[in-house]
Amino acid sequence: MKVLLLRFGELYLKGHNRYVFENMLIHNIKNMLAGEDFRISKTFGRYVVTDYREEREIELIEKLKRVFGLYSLSPADEVDSDVEKIEDYISKIKCEGESFKVFVKRADKSFPISSMEFAKKLGEIVLNNNKNSYVDLYNPEHEIYVDIRINKKAYIFDKIIKCQGGLPLGSSGKGLLLLSGGIDSPVAGFLMARRGMMFEALHFHSYPYTSELAKDKVITLAKHLTNYVGNLRLHIVSFTKVQEEIHKRCKSEFMITIMRRIMMRVANKICEKYNLGAIITGESLGQVASQTMQSMTVTGSVVKDIPIFRPCLAMDKEEIIQISKSINTYDTSILPYEDCCTVFLPKNPVIKPTIKQALGEEQYLNVDALVEECLEKEEILEVSSEFDNRD
Amino acid sequence: MIYLDNAATTRMYEGAVDVYKKYACQSFYNMSAGYNKAIEVAKDIDETRNLILKKLGVRGYIIFTSGATESNNLAIYGSKRNGKWEYVFSEGEHPSVYNVATDLQNQGFVVHFVRLKENGQIDYEQLQNVINERTRLISVMHVSNETGAINDLKRVDLIRQKFSPKALLHVDGVQAFCKLDYKIGDYNIDLYTISSHKFHGPKGVGALYVKNLNALKNITFGGGQEKGYRSGTENTSGIMAMGYAISHFNTKDNYNYVEQLKNLLKEQLSVDKKIKIFDVGSPYILSVTFPGVNGETLMRALQDYDILVGNGSACSTRKAGNRVLESMGYNLNEIKSHVRISFSEELSLKEIDFAGKKIVEVYNNILEKVK
Repeated sequence: MKVLLLRFGELYLKGHNRYVFENMLIHNIKNMLAGEDFRISKTFGRYVVTDYREEREIELIEKLKRVFGLYSLSPADEVDSDVEKIEDYISKIKCEGESFKVFVKRADKSFPISSMEFAKKLGEIVLNNNKNSYVDLYNPEHEIYVDIRINKKAYIFDKIIKCQGGLPLGSSGKGLLLLSGGIDSPVAGFLMARRGMMFEALHFHSYPYTSELAKDKVITLAKHLTNYVGNLRLHIVSFTKVQEEIHKRCKSEFMITIMRRIMMRVANKICEKYNLGAIITGESLGQVASQTMQSMTVTGSVVKDIPIFRPCLAMDKEEIIQISKSINTYDTSILPYEDCCTVFLPKNPVIKPTIKQALGEEQYLNVDALVEECLEKEEILEVSSEFDNRD
Repeated sequence: MIYLDNAATTRMYEGAVDVYKKYACQSFYNMSAGYNKAIEVAKDIDETRNLILKKLGVRGYIIFTSGATESNNLAIYGSKRNGKWEYVFSEGEHPSVYNVATDLQNQGFVVHFVRLKENGQIDYEQLQNVINERTRLISVMHVSNETGAINDLKRVDLIRQKFSPKALLHVDGVQAFCKLDYKIGDYNIDLYTISSHKFHGPKGVGALYVKNLNALKNITFGGGQEKGYRSGTENTSGIMAMGYAISHFNTKDNYNYVEQLKNLLKEQLSVDKKIKIFDVGSPYILSVTFPGVNGETLMRALQDYDILVGNGSACSTRKAGNRVLESMGYNLNEIKSHVRISFSEELSLKEIDFAGKKIVEVYNNILEKVK
């Protein structure tokens, strides 16, 4: 019988609450495969997807590769874990002329032959049936895996497909992703989701300084993220008034610093309101003036009671770009619409601001009122993972 | 809604919609079919060809296409010949010409680009210098879609006659046809492009005038319609609706009225000395810069007052410039603050009066906030 054998990675490390993670993972797998015919069962250390339509196998694999918490998977054949039956299966393998290696893994210690012995025996069978083949233990062209599980089944397969790894989505709480429209923020969301964190997203726009198209672009980015995280709530907040006020009343080199402090305050409030436990940003250390250690200290200092997660912090731009390409957000991110951070951009933004300086600038603003006004005009979009022409 | 972006497209005449409907729902026959109903449609279509030729004041052939982009591609690729031929384009051309030109360049042909002068017209001296007996085609637009500048086609023709008599002359007449009063017969034009939706006809239909069919080869292949130059079942409803628009567009009256509109708007805008108005040719297009304000921002702010202006094929980012304005010597700041205002005879003086005042007001509001 054709099956998909799923392995999970880090869940091994979990102790007595491991079942919570496992249940979450299985729930997420079922969600991801919604609409497909399949059954899923658990054997110790593996999930097995069965009863699916074989012609959908490629699509199923593609979907499973997006489930966080899965380490790898293999399309396999399931046979009873009986020496003769396994030998019979192996004797039908054709790998004429190729080098090969047989891997046997025996989780079921009651299986009568040891892994090494059995691998040798199966190797002989392959050699007998493929006269010009030979064994290569180091660089085989053809790999034959036999995985003998305690459910008295053996799984035989020839490849291991790497999945995302990480932890099941939802197992690490829910945060708020600041989604700008650039390359880094969708990657930050993805990375946190891979560690099990669900999130909602927050976008600031500055109409009429920025275009409706810039907003559309962010919706498209959110749409791409739904491939991994399912339906996604997007909070959209107009930042025009705030920017105009800062521009009018504060020193131009503090434009970005103060702006980001107010963004953080708005994000903090939204987290409070919607019960979200962290702010996620795409900041990368030293990438631009607002992402230096000092700038992050100053912008982070306004956030109360919750942490700010910056998963791209220690990554090079090139690494971030690579991830953004792998999650299909890159091509959208580089569309040339101005985002709210590029409007009113000062020529010489301050690189090492201090909290004292920032407070000094903010005394010219009615910060609380500005934050309140942002929240009043908050617009909420439910971005669904259904296909449309953005895909 | 005060629509001031008529160089982008125009509202379709209601009458043109009726005609469209007639040829879509009643006389919908494929004009290549042999029965009388179809032959009648073919005759109507031929009438539209004659109508266009009459409007252009010239003899020759009309090939119907899906619009200006296809006409321009057919004109340039269709007249391409192998060998050591050279091609000449102006830097002010629309992308549907300009990008064909760069493609020819990538294919290895010698392609010359003629600069624009400050007044938006091509640099005639440079044209004279780059053409020679190897020139196969000269492509110059009639009216600039960005600035409204009108190229002196008589002069282009004289230069061609003198320095490269064998070269073909292609003119993209999209912003000129119907709107200006001229006869292309006076300029010995070989190929002329028109587009229906710029003069209240439907979108998705246009035409290419061809003086001598021997100069052209088809670039697409199929059932051999349009004398083989443009295969594919003719868009009969589109063509007939375009014909309606042509016959109902009163070139002289509209020109005079639109000139009044333009002058009124100029008057309104010149109240503010900061605003720079570029008025050099067609009264249908006014190019304006609003120093200190991003043209796109102004465009978006104006739409909140139901005023729609264009920023042409202008820059959408900090980086990208505007090829046409750049060629005329505009600097990046001027390009960013550029807005295109384009008229139609359907606007009233009252609307222009309101729009003019509003534009100045909104401009100053934004300027106040961003300076």
